[in-house]
Amino acid sequence: MEIKPTTQGVLIYVTMAVYLQAFIVSLLGRRKVGHALYLIGFVVAAVSWGYRWYHVGHVPLQNLFEVFLFLGMIYPLSLFCRRVLRVGGYTADMMIGVIVLFPAGFVFSARPQQLPPALQSWLFTPHVAVYMMSYILMAKATVQAVCQLIGLNPKPGEDILAPEQATYRMIYAGFPLLTLGLILGSYWGKQAWGDYWAWDPKELWSLVSWLAFLIYFHFRYMFGKKHPNINSVLAILGMVAIIITLLWVNLSKLFPGMHSYA
Amino acid sequence: MNRFKREIMWAALVLIIALTVLSIYGAFIGAERAQAFFNSIPSAVFWALFGLALVAGLIAFRRLIRVPGLLLMHAGCILVLIGGALGSEKGYKAAGNERVREGWMTIYEGQRSNQAKVEKKIPLFNISVDFAGSLDRRIIPESLRQEFTKQQMTLSQKAVAWISQAQRSWVIADEPNQYFIRREGVKLKVYDFVREMKELPFSIKLNDFRMEYYDYEAPYLEIEVTGSQLQRIPAEIGQQLDLGGELGTAKIVRKFERFKMSLEDGKQVAFEDPHGNPMPALEIEITSPAGEVTRRYAFSLMPGFGHSQSGPKLTYVKPTGGMVSDYISELEVIDKDGKVVAKKDIEVNHPLQYAGYRFYQSSYDQEGGRYTVLQVVSDTGVMVVFAGYWAICVGVVWHMWLRHLFKKIGGKTQTHGN
Ligand code: HEM
Repeated sequence: MEIKPTTQGVLIYVTMAVYLQAFIVSLLGRRKVGHALYLIGFVVAAVSWGYRWYHVGHVPLQNLFEVFLFLGMIYPLSLFCRRVLRVGGYTADMMIGVIVLFPAGFVFSARPQQLPPALQSWLFTPHVAVYMMSYILMAKATVQAVCQLIGLNPKPGEDILAPEQATYRMIYAGFPLLTLGLILGSYWGKQAWGDYWAWDPKELWSLVSWLAFLIYFHFRYMFGKKHPNINSVLAILGMVAIIITLLWVNLSKLFPGMHSYA
Repeated sequence: MNRFKREIMWAALVLIIALTVLSIYGAFIGAERAQAFFNSIPSAVFWALFGLALVAGLIAFRRLIRVPGLLLMHAGCILVLIGGALGSEKGYKAAGNERVREGWMTIYEGQRSNQAKVEKKIPLFNISVDFAGSLDRRIIPESLRQEFTKQQMTLSQKAVAWISQAQRSWVIADEPNQYFIRREGVKLKVYDFVREMKELPFSIKLNDFRMEYYDYEAPYLEIEVTGSQLQRIPAEIGQQLDLGGELGTAKIVRKFERFKMSLEDGKQVAFEDPHGNPMPALEIEITSPAGEVTRRYAFSLMPGFGHSQSGPKLTYVKPTGGMVSDYISELEVIDKDGKVVAKKDIEVNHPLQYAGYRFYQSSYDQEGGRYTVLQVVSDTGVMVVFAGYWAICVGVVWHMWLRHLFKKIGGKTQTHGN
């Protein structure tokens, strides 16, 4: 945990603050103002990413700090899901924006990093970036699944999908990215360690996340919308697996005698 | 859906759920045991069933053949399973594949070799005793010795044990034999640990091994001058700085890596002790405007030591060495006739590929950098797996994204998301 007293840091914190305001204002029913604030937040996020680009002189997608900075520009994705895919959760996205900027603002160092030899690969950035984007989409799917479970349906006038269908559509959008992340990781393993699959815990958990969505797809194919609650629970379990994958290195300390990998 | 299709779908669902549960189990037991687990005979049966279910699905559901995305995804999974089976240890045995599956080569600079060291573990016996925690130590427990005796294999008093990287296993070396011991729950599995040399059909020559480092900040001396200002000079002998006002000038006169002090004739004398512990230090002479000279020391490992004395604060900052950015082995592949047939400077992430083998930078001579250690892996099955990867990726992206995009652009209404 560190605070960044730099221009870059200030840009990040301003984005977070504006997104948070947008979120609160939207929750209070002032949709128009919320939308405007969200747009302003996005502009600051874009300036922040552009500033980084100018500062380091290459496309800033080369380390985790930069990837999270990139994800902070969630607005277009959010708008795409809302307008084109007709999936709700627009307000919740503002909060997701705050959450993804948190690691950039407080956890990862903004210093251009010196990568150890194993991480010097063109695969590093796409592998991480693709995973992060799929996580955002799956998080949106989870929001929809929760809406389905608690019976939170869109208001009659709104042109958006019912939560059950919206969950399916979000997973449809996120699954290709999850698949790419897994396969790029595996391909990288072959380049770096000589084996495309080493059965280590982190790998296995990422496989579990992927399989969870396969279960969702095949179950939904078999039963359609006959068991909407089970569909939703399966989608949420997928997200739980993703979170465990992300935090496994830390979680594994709870289990004595187990070794952990980065 | 007719009954046959329904049963296939149930089988698919059950198999995918089973794989999920097994993967979670695998994540808890650690990589080494998980690898053994997923390569065991029962697992092989499971993988075969999985492949069969996929094939049955392709036969029973016409949509899986007709819809290109669905076909690519499911067929891709079959390819991954086939490729994985071909490349597995059992696959090598079944196919009579004599190639070096995985091995290590040590090659000195300027020399060539076609010898790969291969490690094999041959199961000997199991012991159902819980050696709680003892695998973490280098001491061989008496009960293990007794068990060896019971099996008519004695461990001499000279036998030494070390813990392997994966923590849950041990290697016991007892000339001329070596044993590999792994804990699995309350059981210890004992293996004969054989290292044998295998020959490759060509040899590898190491022209040069080198390491490259990131640039790093050079060591410097930080001096507090008048008005609590901080100034820096490079930590080199002869560097000096005007401290301003009453303080005079500071000059670095000596540099130590292993600083020691001794008493000679009642005077303290600083010297470099080649056998001492690392203690980087600088000796600084401060000359006052009146010409009075004081001698001061600054230690990078003890910042602030001596700050309390009168005079300016001196801090020796010595960033620990630059990080390694690359390990590079310049390799040549030489065939039976002595001709150079391939050449590559390999680094981590950039292996050399030749005739179905890949050579990876694995380790090196930590003392002198005179030799390199390469990992040799044969590529059997890998291309099949990668073909499967391509099929799955293209299938998923087409089926879930592009198909709809093109439909939209084509002006048709969207059909997914029923
Ligand atoms: C184990 C045997 C399997 C069988 C029998 C099977 C069969 C099926 C069937 C019949 C469908 C419905 C297709 C349709 O929309 O008409 C389907 C969908 C799907 N399958 Fe499989 N599958 C199996 C395993 C897998 C595996 C290992 C994958 C991994 C890539 C996979 C990926 C998918 C996906 C992503 C869908 C969803 C497509 C959608 O919802 O539109 N399946 N599967």
